Amino acid sequence: MGVGGAHDGSRNGHRPTARYSAFALFTRGLRKSPWPRAWRAHDLRPSYDVVIVGGGVHGLATAYYLAANHGITDVAVLDKGYIGSGGSGRNTAIVRSNYLTPEGVRFYDRSVKLYERLSADLNFNVMFSQRGHLTLAHNDSSLRTMRWRAEVNKLEGVDSEVISPEDIKRLVPYMDTSASARYPILGALHHPPGGTIRHDAVVWGYARGADAHGVHIHQGTEVTGIQVARDRVTAVRTTRGDIATPVVVNCTAGWSTLISDMVGVRTPVATFPLQAAVTEPVKPFLDTVVVSGSLHVYVSQTDRGELVFGASVDPFTSYSMRGSLEFIEELAGHVLALMPSLSKVRLLRQWAGLCDMTPDYSPIMGPTPVEGFYLDVGWGTYGFKAGPVSGESMAELIATTKTPEIIATFDLARFADGRLVGEKGAASVGH
Amino acid sequence: MSLTAVAAPMRLDAQPGEVIERGRPLSFRWNGAPRVGFAGDTIASALAASGVRVFSRSFKYHRPRGLLSASYHDPGCMLQVDDEPNVRGAHRRLRDGMDVASQNTWPSLRFDVRAANQLVGRFIGAGFYYKTFMKPQVLLPAYQSVLKRFSAGGRTSPDDPRDYYDKRYAHPDVVVAGAGPAGITAALAAAESGAQVLLVEEEHDLGGHLRWGGTEDLARLHQLRDLIAAQPAIEVMTNSVVVGRYDGNWLAIVQRELPHACERLVKARAKVLVVAAGLIERPYVFQGNDVPGVMLSTAVRRLINLHAVRPGHRAVVLSANPEGDAAAEDLARIGVEVRRVLDVRRGEDLVAARGGGGVRSVQCHDGARIDCDLVVTAAGWTAPTSLLNMAGDKPVYVAEAARFLPSRLPDDVLPTGGIAGTGDTDALIAHARATGAEAARRAAGRGEAVRIPALPAGRHPEHFIGRTHGMVDFSEDVSSKDLLSAAREGYDSVELVKRYTTVTMGPVQGKLETVNAVAVLSRATGRTIGETGTTVWRPPYAPVTLGALAGRILEPVRYSPMQRWHEAHGATPLVAGAWIRPDRYGDPAQEVRNVRERVGIIDVTPLGKLDLRGPDVPRLLNLLYVNKWSKLDVGRVRYGVMCAEDGVVLDDGVTGRLGEDRYLMSTTSSGAATVWEWVEGWLQTERPDWQVHVIPMTTGYASMNVAGPRSRELLQRVTEGVDLDPEAFPYMHVREGRVAGVDDCFMWRIGFTGELSYEIHAPAMYGLHVWETLLDVGDDLGIKPFGVEAQRIMRLEKGHAIVGQDTDGLTQAFGAGIDWAIKLDKDDFAGKPELVWQRDRDDYFVLVGLQPEDGSVVPPEASQIVEGRNVIVGRVTSSRMSPTLGRSICLGFVAPHLRAAGTRVTVQLPDGRRITARVTEQHAHVDPEGVRMRG
Repeated sequence: MGVGGAHDGSRNGHRPTARYSAFALFTRGLRKSPWPRAWRAHDLRPSYDVVIVGGGVHGLATAYYLAANHGITDVAVLDKGYIGSGGSGRNTAIVRSNYLTPEGVRFYDRSVKLYERLSADLNFNVMFSQRGHLTLAHNDSSLRTMRWRAEVNKLEGVDSEVISPEDIKRLVPYMDTSASARYPILGALHHPPGGTIRHDAVVWGYARGADAHGVHIHQGTEVTGIQVARDRVTAVRTTRGDIATPVVVNCTAGWSTLISDMVGVRTPVATFPLQAAVTEPVKPFLDTVVVSGSLHVYVSQTDRGELVFGASVDPFTSYSMRGSLEFIEELAGHVLALMPSLSKVRLLRQWAGLCDMTPDYSPIMGPTPVEGFYLDVGWGTYGFKAGPVSGESMAELIATTKTPEIIATFDLARFADGRLVGEKGAASVGH
Repeated sequence: MSLTAVAAPMRLDAQPGEVIERGRPLSFRWNGAPRVGFAGDTIASALAASGVRVFSRSFKYHRPRGLLSASYHDPGCMLQVDDEPNVRGAHRRLRDGMDVASQNTWPSLRFDVRAANQLVGRFIGAGFYYKTFMKPQVLLPAYQSVLKRFSAGGRTSPDDPRDYYDKRYAHPDVVVAGAGPAGITAALAAAESGAQVLLVEEEHDLGGHLRWGGTEDLARLHQLRDLIAAQPAIEVMTNSVVVGRYDGNWLAIVQRELPHACERLVKARAKVLVVAAGLIERPYVFQGNDVPGVMLSTAVRRLINLHAVRPGHRAVVLSANPEGDAAAEDLARIGVEVRRVLDVRRGEDLVAARGGGGVRSVQCHDGARIDCDLVVTAAGWTAPTSLLNMAGDKPVYVAEAARFLPSRLPDDVLPTGGIAGTGDTDALIAHARATGAEAARRAAGRGEAVRIPALPAGRHPEHFIGRTHGMVDFSEDVSSKDLLSAAREGYDSVELVKRYTTVTMGPVQGKLETVNAVAVLSRATGRTIGETGTTVWRPPYAPVTLGALAGRILEPVRYSPMQRWHEAHGATPLVAGAWIRPDRYGDPAQEVRNVRERVGIIDVTPLGKLDLRGPDVPRLLNLLYVNKWSKLDVGRVRYGVMCAEDGVVLDDGVTGRLGEDRYLMSTTSSGAATVWEWVEGWLQTERPDWQVHVIPMTTGYASMNVAGPRSRELLQRVTEGVDLDPEAFPYMHVREGRVAGVDDCFMWRIGFTGELSYEIHAPAMYGLHVWETLLDVGDDLGIKPFGVEAQRIMRLEKGHAIVGQDTDGLTQAFGAGIDWAIKLDKDDFAGKPELVWQRDRDDYFVLVGLQPEDGSVVPPEASQIVEGRNVIVGRVTSSRMSPTLGRSICLGFVAPHLRAAGTRVTVQLPDGRRITARVTEQHAHVDPEGVRMRG
């Protein structure tokens, strides 16, 4: 088959899409007719109106909303590997909005709202399962924080409440809620709209949606330099050739500082590995997402039956994406502290992703001193759940050159002015 | 005997290399029905001997599945054994009384209604779920609940006991992963060269493929085993796997089914790792390749030679290599009718296998259709390069050998045996001998690493996929057709196709299917297998139980030396971080009154304590605290607040100067570890030239606070060498002396409770003695113990903030309402620039005292202070009913415009009610002038 895949591509703008539906599955199944490419491969054009670096959920969502909401379709998304190869495909796919600050709650709630209709918007089932999200409190201080979050959430119209160990036991019969547990459970913040999503599907759905609007997705295309003339971005240099462009958006993670360095924009970002692991499938028994900040662990079960585990970032900076033994040992110990009857379940696979942490556990979004160079970086451990709202806001910023209110506090200048945003309490392990 | 024959119709007469003990029959149950087998049988071999062909149903289409590889990694043989899910039935040895059941079948293995999925297969190809159920969204949960029923895993129960698992550390010179002929030889050579060796074998016995070989192989096997037994420098672990290789040759080895533990995780820091993992036979992709009765040649040879099981009656063999030929010979020897051998090397091929619950016929490349009940494929070998990948290797594909070979490895990892190349047993053994000796040399650090002459790559037909579509991933039910259509839709790199179709993501983790998947994908994209590459192999190599990873939980609870006393006196325990503390002994309000009126005593041992010595301690204190420390006289203590670089309050506590160059710093109980790391972090990385020694003393001292108007009177009775007169030992001073006969006790006069009080730090081993003596001697003064809750009430009455409760991750120091302590005129201190900004902006929420107008209402902590419908302008951080005042009291944050004393604010209670509270003059609700504590 041809990699060029120009089945039904038009050089610019829209192309007729093969809509996905149960009916289409049926008719194509009957006719045995193959589906077209979800997104096409293209030659690199010598110029684009906008070049987005990073083909993860942030980059692809930005491209999609640029095209869908603002009609800007001469857009290239570049990824040095395959789309979704970074944090978008390595996170534990938890979506929630039970943050601590009113600004944080509003921001992530917008993302949840977008996620709720994403399958329909993109005509791609991203399998957002709003199965509920529990954050456990093992001591009175974390219980107090849960109450605090619940009160702020309620005032912002987000569904969260503190529930008792008895309620927790009803939701998760496997949980050891006895008072004799090493880390007794005193209560939990229950957030019914939270849940899990198929993270790769979000990437592919945005890619397909952007492609349908004429956006070019270039995989295997690494950015090696960005040209700036008189404090303006003029071109991007890649392993496949140069692209003239007035707008470059840094939507990378892990290596975001290296991209920013290409135009001399310094960001207070330190890169930490974040590890995760998954077990063999066992019959589904866990309907909610369970998080314990004190034990640095979060657990959910996929529909296939695998238990997915995550934790807080490793305590050292590194670009390494290899897992460590210490991580799975501690993880297993803490999972069993919560659910002791799972000792016979086997861990199947561990992996790591890279998290760009900022001093205030909040992202950096917005313009920079270099005209045409935009940042959507520093996403720490919470980037995936913010994908849609970030894409929507970045697209609006690029299209209008006005910073949308919802991301105004995330500007780069805050670090120089001492206006840190605080989400440490809810973001550090709160997946 | 005849009974056994009836119960085990497929059992053969004794085989030369068999591992079953015919004298030890075992009985077990299979899906409820009684069965028999022998000791030495695997569950699968016993079932196969009894005539079982179908062991499970496949994940998606619920197709019947039989044995494929008859090894640990057999995807069709995951079984429920008693309360254990996902047991590898082709590996786990039979035990008497086992209750074995198939998984993923409903209502039964024989008749599974979900097999109807096969009929609609063309509509539900790879990724079909991404293309439907988008709208309406309400159908998704229903779809998901259906999907959940298809989960292939075994069952767990919330009542399953947490079994015993263990861990061990090992420090071998050389670890050899895999004990086939090469691994054994490498281990022997390393041991002979002076190394301590750990030889790890995944199967139950040493010997690898020799075990199922002919007379010559068996002779060699016994010879090698004898040599191993005679070599004391080799520790052998069977039924064990090296599951992970981490940085610095840090190895995770899992030992299974030990007498004392379900599994044990052995953590070994190996000087050199020799990987002798052998080769894994890969399935051949053709139509019907997953019908029960289609097996790999190694499966057939294992069944016949190890377990004396007849794999079928009439066989067709597809062979691309000598091992396939040997399987055909084995079959002929035991009387299986080998109806045709299709030799790939002569261009012959297998096109399709047909049958439902078992294969009935095959179709050959020349159109011939042959009836049979067994199809054997020997299409080639996959190198299980997992451990090599974990060591940084990127194996390279060699087309003429149809396999991947290691490329670049660190000096402390050496491959040998089949994974390293191709050759006859003699050639592999020669390579292994050289490798083992070199491993020992490298482990001993004797000279430069010497390269071992490589084994040849060998020649093998590239025979991955036939002319029909078949199953690629047996665990995940992914066929070559699925991979092709995924590639066509744009999921055309190896990682994308994996994520889209889930190929290689099942319990077998790609060991059988990766290379076939890559072969299909490269055919679809027109790239070579080498260009396509493989996905990254991630640890663990084989799955490990959570129990083994966790081991025994080594997270000790911390108790003070007085814990036994607390328990004996009915204290309610409070979990506070690593500590268990007495929350209360009875009514906390009564405990408060006793302190306010008489005298009480509380165990405050968890308070962090750092002994600081050296001439630069004052500089350190000046750097870390926001207040000034240059002029602290010997014998004085001072309260200090620490901030992180962002100006956010990190901790607080008092530090006393015990001598010219000696200080004792106290921290909050929860901050003890953080502050120690913080102090060390500054000293080691930022100010390495400063002369300060830090000794964490938290558990070295038992700490107790004696508080109340009669505390001085009490201490006068038990203290020697300290003048307790208020003139001689005033408030905020420290003295060293003898308390209750115990020397080297420190006392400092501070007032967290707001009362006259003495905090005594006694050497921990005498803590209980001092505690009991004080209670004894103070009996007539009315001394009573009080717990954490009473202390919290009193500190709130006194308006003392608790870091982490009355401050949070956003609270910069000015927001804590401690302006008096922050000295911005100091040259520098941690957090200063941020605090300058904070002061200049003057827009922060600040901590204030609050009293509800209705003193009978205690607003729960975290209640929000609001304006209008939902604008948050503060929150209650601490609240209690004050026994001293008889009304509710609070601390809380308010927005800048509400700071002024007397301001009325609206508090929204969690139940939605709103009350009014008044901002007070000071944080302190009781004795704001501090008369009592200075007394």
